[in-house]
Amino acid sequence: MASNKLISLAEAVRRTSRDGMQYASGAALPIGSDAVAFGRELLRQERRDLHAIFHCNSQQLNLLAGAGAVTRAECGFTGLEVFGFANGLRRAVESGALALEDYSNLAMALRLLGGAMNWPFVPATVNIGSDLQDRSAFEPDAYPSRTKIPTVTDPFSGRPVGALSPLKPDLAAIHVTLADPLGNAIMLGTEWSRFELSRAAKRVVLVADAIVDTACMRQFPNLVRIPDIVVEAVVHWPFAAWPQSSPGMYDVDEEHMRLMNKALATEEGTAQYRRDFVDGYADLDGYLAMIGAEKRASLSATATGFLLDPYRPWILPAEVVAQLQAEGGVS
Amino acid sequence: MTLPYTRQEMMAIATGREIRDGELAIFGVGLSMLAGYFAQAHHAPNVRAMTEGGVYGATPVGGLPWGIECNRISANATSFTSGLDALGCLVASGRCDVGIIGAAQVDRFGNVNTTGIWDGEIGDHYRPPKTRLTGAGGANDIACGAKRYLIMVAHEPKRFAETVTYVSSPGYLEGGDARARHGFVGGGPSAIITTLGILRPEAATKEFVLAGWYAFSSAEEIRANTGWELKIAPDAAPIPEPSDSELAALRTVDVTGALRKG
Repeated sequence: MASNKLISLAEAVRRTSRDGMQYASGAALPIGSDAVAFGRELLRQERRDLHAIFHCNSQQLNLLAGAGAVTRAECGFTGLEVFGFANGLRRAVESGALALEDYSNLAMALRLLGGAMNWPFVPATVNIGSDLQDRSAFEPDAYPSRTKIPTVTDPFSGRPVGALSPLKPDLAAIHVTLADPLGNAIMLGTEWSRFELSRAAKRVVLVADAIVDTACMRQFPNLVRIPDIVVEAVVHWPFAAWPQSSPGMYDVDEEHMRLMNKALATEEGTAQYRRDFVDGYADLDGYLAMIGAEKRASLSATATGFLLDPYRPWILPAEVVAQLQAEGGVS
Repeated sequence: MTLPYTRQEMMAIATGREIRDGELAIFGVGLSMLAGYFAQAHHAPNVRAMTEGGVYGATPVGGLPWGIECNRISANATSFTSGLDALGCLVASGRCDVGIIGAAQVDRFGNVNTTGIWDGEIGDHYRPPKTRLTGAGGANDIACGAKRYLIMVAHEPKRFAETVTYVSSPGYLEGGDARARHGFVGGGPSAIITTLGILRPEAATKEFVLAGWYAFSSAEEIRANTGWELKIAPDAAPIPEPSDSELAALRTVDVTGALRKG
């Protein structure tokens, strides 16, 4: 019997995370959908020594790495697109505090698919013949590496191909636009690798910008790419991807993207950022106040807003969500 | 000499000219996207453009997108899918005609480094770079799978190395038929388009040689800014300046003037 899985963000982090775990997020692109708010809460609860699995870097990995909470990371693209290099991640890598294992963006998706399918390895026609195959930050003395992406023989053609290792992260915090209290989710915009990740991870927490009635999922079942049966908990957190964007919901906060990345460039700046924007709120209301009503209104006036129109009738009001959350997660 | 266009705009237009109408094309963020959507606005209206996140049928609104999943490229899409779909089914499969990638460092055989800057060679022990860059991203997948790809890079000596320190995305590796060893379905880089001119690979050796220069540059200037002994192709020639219609089309895409600031 499907049950109400709505719990608070703090409770979700308490219940599902621990030091040293393989933590996956960042399953959309660097300035788009990502459960950045979950990363803030990981820091608020002082989680450390994380092994980050991020399809791409995002401000979440940038923050966690800059704050020294990540010691190993596996990642595709590691920048912030037009916002430049990711200063927190960069600082952690350059100092040697964080070992960053590089893959391409397709390789990360394939590795998650391999984990989801329980394949022993995924044959790769990409990443081979480059230093992505030959250099390993996890085994720095092996050059060329024979264990990161070993070359194997295609049993059919006899040609050499790379073997990508599958990923099965301990926990995935996945940002979605809409979730129902049971854990069915609709993602507006590209899903990037959130489909594969939701099947590859041992535990899945959804962090949703809005909660909808399950009738919404019954209206658009083809669009529900993450079904409740793979989801352990649902967190309602508007502006969960802030300062990044969420198609249909809000645009990227250019000013804060720059402020945040600038702060993460130094230890002092990171400490200040943590005081102001990680430890600087007590609850969801405080978080939303921190972003500011005016800023939220301008970010919400997005040219993609029409994408949300078909779903608006089912979005549950805040007080109903709060009531469900008070009752939820008890199973 | 004051030009009615910037060097960055010339580079974007020269890159866009390489895109043909009807092609299946994948663009990255920034310059790559501007060059690609310029081509669509100007001479390739039926280009089938996608981003590596799986945004199809879209054209940017409100200026240069901040990223390839930015709302500026999500406001008029006809399909949203995934990275596995775009980079896998449509690029690694060998279906994609052309991609555009950037480079922090590029070498004689078109190999690209976007991973880091080290002091000297890395050596046998992998060590952190002095300056960490953005990593391979989807460029490695494009370099392995696209039928051909274009490399856009600012023409500075430090970026044009005899051999890149780290191969993030394979060009022609050691040259000749070295790519065949790995069985890549993609054909490799067809041009390096820079702020000073265009380099193309020699047919047999795959060494990049100078194919053309702009109205504001010269073969001498380009050779002086290239970290290897750059040969000049027998048919090397000046590259036509942007036409009025090309500049107008580019500026409709680059409404915020990102290319006019540099």
